Amino acid sequence: MAIGVKVMQRPDRGVSYVRATLKGMALTFKHLLQPKVTMEYPEQRSSDDWRISTRLRGTHRMLTDEQGRTKCVACGLCPQVCPANCIKLVPGEDEQGNRYPLIYEIDEFRCVFCGYCQEVCPEEAIHVGVHYENAEYSRDRFVYDHERLVAQTHPVSTLWDPADPRGE
Amino acid sequence: MADAQVTLTVDGMDVTVPRGTMLIDAARQAGVVVPHYCYHPGLPSPAVCRMCLVQVEKMPKLVPACVTAAADGQVVHVHSPEAKQARKGVLEFLLINHPLDCPICDQAGECELQDFVFQEGQAGTRYGDYPKRFNPVEDFGPDILYVPNRCILCTRCVRFMEDVAEAPVLNVSERGDRAYIGIDPDHRLDHPWSGNVVDLCPVGSLVSKDFLHKARAWDLDKTASVCPGCTQGCNVTIEARDEVVVRLRPRTNPEVNRWFMCDAGRADYRWMNRGDRCEAPLAIGDGRPVAHDWDDALTTFASLVGESDGPAVVLFGRRASSETIGWMLRLLDGRRTTAAIQVPEGPEAALAAVPNLALRRERSPNLHGARLLGADADWDAAIAALGGAALALVVDADLSDAEAAAMSGAARVVHLATVADPRLTTAALVLPVTTMAEEQGVYVNRDGRAQRYLPARTPPGMARPGWWVAASAWQRLGADRTVPATASEALGALPAFAGLDHDALGWHGRVLATAAAGRTR
Repeated sequence: MAIGVKVMQRPDRGVSYVRATLKGMALTFKHLLQPKVTMEYPEQRSSDDWRISTRLRGTHRMLTDEQGRTKCVACGLCPQVCPANCIKLVPGEDEQGNRYPLIYEIDEFRCVFCGYCQEVCPEEAIHVGVHYENAEYSRDRFVYDHERLVAQTHPVSTLWDPADPRGE
Repeated sequence: MADAQVTLTVDGMDVTVPRGTMLIDAARQAGVVVPHYCYHPGLPSPAVCRMCLVQVEKMPKLVPACVTAAADGQVVHVHSPEAKQARKGVLEFLLINHPLDCPICDQAGECELQDFVFQEGQAGTRYGDYPKRFNPVEDFGPDILYVPNRCILCTRCVRFMEDVAEAPVLNVSERGDRAYIGIDPDHRLDHPWSGNVVDLCPVGSLVSKDFLHKARAWDLDKTASVCPGCTQGCNVTIEARDEVVVRLRPRTNPEVNRWFMCDAGRADYRWMNRGDRCEAPLAIGDGRPVAHDWDDALTTFASLVGESDGPAVVLFGRRASSETIGWMLRLLDGRRTTAAIQVPEGPEAALAAVPNLALRRERSPNLHGARLLGADADWDAAIAALGGAALALVVDADLSDAEAAAMSGAARVVHLATVADPRLTTAALVLPVTTMAEEQGVYVNRDGRAQRYLPARTPPGMARPGWWVAASAWQRLGADRTVPATASEALGALPAFAGLDHDALGWHGRVLATAAAGRTR
């Protein structure tokens, strides 16, 4: 049994394409006159009707207190809650006997940006940030150490508030 | 004469307990934990914390379970609304001045205040704007800090020092809401058993300086073990974080150490974390050590043993396991062997109120196991026997310079090492072995109680247990010999422990019939 073959009926004489070309050109010309929907990234990063959500969970930032010291007390809750196991923390003690992180590193490649670290932090020290431009020239630069986390200046995420699920 | 047993009902469960048992113990037997702070099975109960209040039918008021004796036919409600309400009130009072510094508190994660507040405390505070009482941290002793803000005044530490250690240096100073734990101004908390107050403290008020900020409770991998400090053989838990041992804590064994362990034992863990460990078998060829695989090294070891006809000397380190001692001696079976275990000595320190519990003079956990297995020579006699010996085995012993020099008297020296010793220039072979923290084994304590310990960390490199090295060499010296697959089989194959395996020893050990007979003799 033969396979069902559909034979297309093609015009057998010369056909003019002028009509179709003009139709296409008209559509193109129409769009030239309409308002722009694209943004000129990276010169322009937000507009009145489009901006990044404040709830975006991007690369981390460590906050500091008024004296510029880290807020982190090395309690160990963020490495514990981290589902990707990307936070390395070694606690230490400073000259005043306060607990602080001797080593605090986040592997941003391994991070799944769930924001649990920010949610669990009792000192409001570690935050996920509203930030997504992370290009680097080498892979090891993606392990952010404590100094680098403190030096970040981007805004921090507000996370999702269950009491206000639509962010209103 | 009243019955010796009484039957009561705790939260709907019938239990039968001996007359005189307190309600809190009866409830535990029924599977109900009554929240408590001042009660501890090893200490007298003063009923000061008011946390263990329970409802007993036909009694007018709630009663503290830790000082109320169980009576026949009693009906106890631990979780009735009244009892819960009372405990909620107690917790609220405790939290008035308790700082919310759980993130930096060492006790967080194993804190009884945290546990019970989460379990049945109230969610918020009603004392929002009042400042909390503040007292500075005090330095109590060589290893103990007192953080008065966190103290809930359960007085366990005071009672331990007074009634168990019988060195009453702590008290409750001041009264009411100003009360705190005070220390005799002329004394420090430096009793050899004072470290127990840190374990007894239900909150993070008494903390160990050594452990301070090292690890969180939930990071720790806990392994049942036996203290390698002395012949007492206290049961301990080795607690490690990421393969690094950070502390030893007592493990309850009513027959040996009850709930306690001494400070010397507590501090004796740093050697477990040494970084300069011997990791591969080294044979000395052309005057310098060359790394080998185990197969070659064991064949060399077996031929060294096989070709040496003459007296042999075995020097065991103080922490050698029964399996290692037994199999080393089996390897040398049939020749004149002088085997000795190293036993450093130190001052004895007893815990006053607990019978048969002390830091012993002989600081070797397996002295009695070694004697049982035949490694019973005097250490100095064994060193003297090195001169003219055909074969000398050094099994992880700490040798003095003179002893290391005496090794040159032996014709062949094999060093089973955790750490290589450059002074042993005559050693033909250096074989890496595990420490007691990395292997499974059995120690026999001074009462002839065989107790097992489990590996707490991964052995470095190619290190293997001493018994496996000995048994593998032994296998190469004869036909139809098989190496035991596990430490448990290795133990059972030794005549002194015939028929025993590690499971049979359980978690509290077992007194060996042979050893007990030897002791009474």
